[in-house]
Amino acid sequence: MREQLRLDLEGSDPYGRQREGGPGLPRGRLLRSGLVALGGVVVGTAAGLGVGRRADAAPSRRQDRQILQFLLRLERLQAEFYAAAVNEGQLEGELREFAEVVGAQERRHVELLEERLGAAAGEPPTFDFGEAVANPDRFAETARQVEELGVAAYIGQGANLTPRVVVSVARITSVEARHAAWIADFLGRNPAPRAADKAKTARQVEADVRRTGFVT
Amino acid sequence: MNGCGEREERIEPELTLGELDRDGALTEAIAETHGESRAEFLRKLALGSGALVGVLAAPPPAEAQVSEVAILNYGLGFEYLQSTFYTETERVGTVARMDERRATWARTLGAHERAHVAILRQVLGERAIKKPSFNFGGATETPNSFTRTAVAMEDLTVALLTGQTPRVRTPALLAAFFTLLTVEARHAAWARRIAGFQPVGAPLDQPKTLAQVDRAVASTGFVSTLLPRTTAAGRSPRFTG
Repeated sequence: MREQLRLDLEGSDPYGRQREGGPGLPRGRLLRSGLVALGGVVVGTAAGLGVGRRADAAPSRRQDRQILQFLLRLERLQAEFYAAAVNEGQLEGELREFAEVVGAQERRHVELLEERLGAAAGEPPTFDFGEAVANPDRFAETARQVEELGVAAYIGQGANLTPRVVVSVARITSVEARHAAWIADFLGRNPAPRAADKAKTARQVEADVRRTGFVT
Repeated sequence: MNGCGEREERIEPELTLGELDRDGALTEAIAETHGESRAEFLRKLALGSGALVGVLAAPPPAEAQVSEVAILNYGLGFEYLQSTFYTETERVGTVARMDERRATWARTLGAHERAHVAILRQVLGERAIKKPSFNFGGATETPNSFTRTAVAMEDLTVALLTGQTPRVRTPALLAAFFTLLTVEARHAAWARRIAGFQPVGAPLDQPKTLAQVDRAVASTGFVSTLLPRTTAAGRSPRFTG
């Protein structure tokens, strides 16, 4: 199933419990894995996306706005993805519940970010999710990857924000992580594969989004 | 963002939980964000009173420093609580009586929380508070009581961490905070699904102040308080939670 995916956001890992953090692994390996996992933490900036600079772009209101715009693009994609999947009517049981509950939360995130940004929110793009919303298996795996992308994106920007907005963003960040864990557990994967999560820079996130082809 | 505005206005002087990673890992992350090698970072970390001050880069006023140390120490207290809880549950054989899915979950969370303790102790050096003694009553003795307690503990951790983010001003530490926040949120969602609850609640997680967290912890009777009255270095953190 993974081969069909257009997103590839993390290494192949079909059995979560074999990963670091799972029981029974030798400590040395745990440590190494943790180091690798954390190597991705970057204090960069979303400013001018594409830059992904390391370190010390001092938080500012202007930078806050750029980061919120970046996060809004991601939230809009997520919200539309779930809306389209529910609209297709192919989902059943817990997967349908997941799409409805999480979709509503992503829409709320979009509204909150739009409120905060005002005119700077801009117009939403149009999307085409193709098979990813028509086939339940494809939907579930794509949802997992989209949520993981959201988690990595939020972590990557957290430290670039001013205290004025950071708590609001943190409150969304943890919800994105809950979404990721929910769908991972549903799929039989490890919901918390690492003791500390990885970050992605804005540039990496934007590249992942482009590769999906979802934004038309 | 609704509600967030007011919340930011009345931030109390409290602490946080820092959840950090297995030893070395978070340190690596922090060093990474500063563009230093791990060795350089560790050298700066040097144990001792200057530890955080040295690493955490050009600190603004002294009080902010104390506050960050206090935040990390509160986090350490919380991680001691969690890791001891999970470890004891394994030790008394409760995990061994769980089905495979639940046992994997319990062991994974235990491994993560122990890693978080190790790294927090490393970051804090001699300022790290000592491990309090805990009494979990019967909470570790049956899979059901364990699971219910774990759900509450993980949700509480998320509330604690989100509430403290504005107090962490050092970029490297804030970055680390976010990497741990999402792990605790994953634990919480996983715990809730195992326990038969919906993994997510509201569209925004609700932060708790340090005082609220401490009251919640005290109400369990597991420990009288996690609030360190003084740090190991003998300084009183300034907080009123």
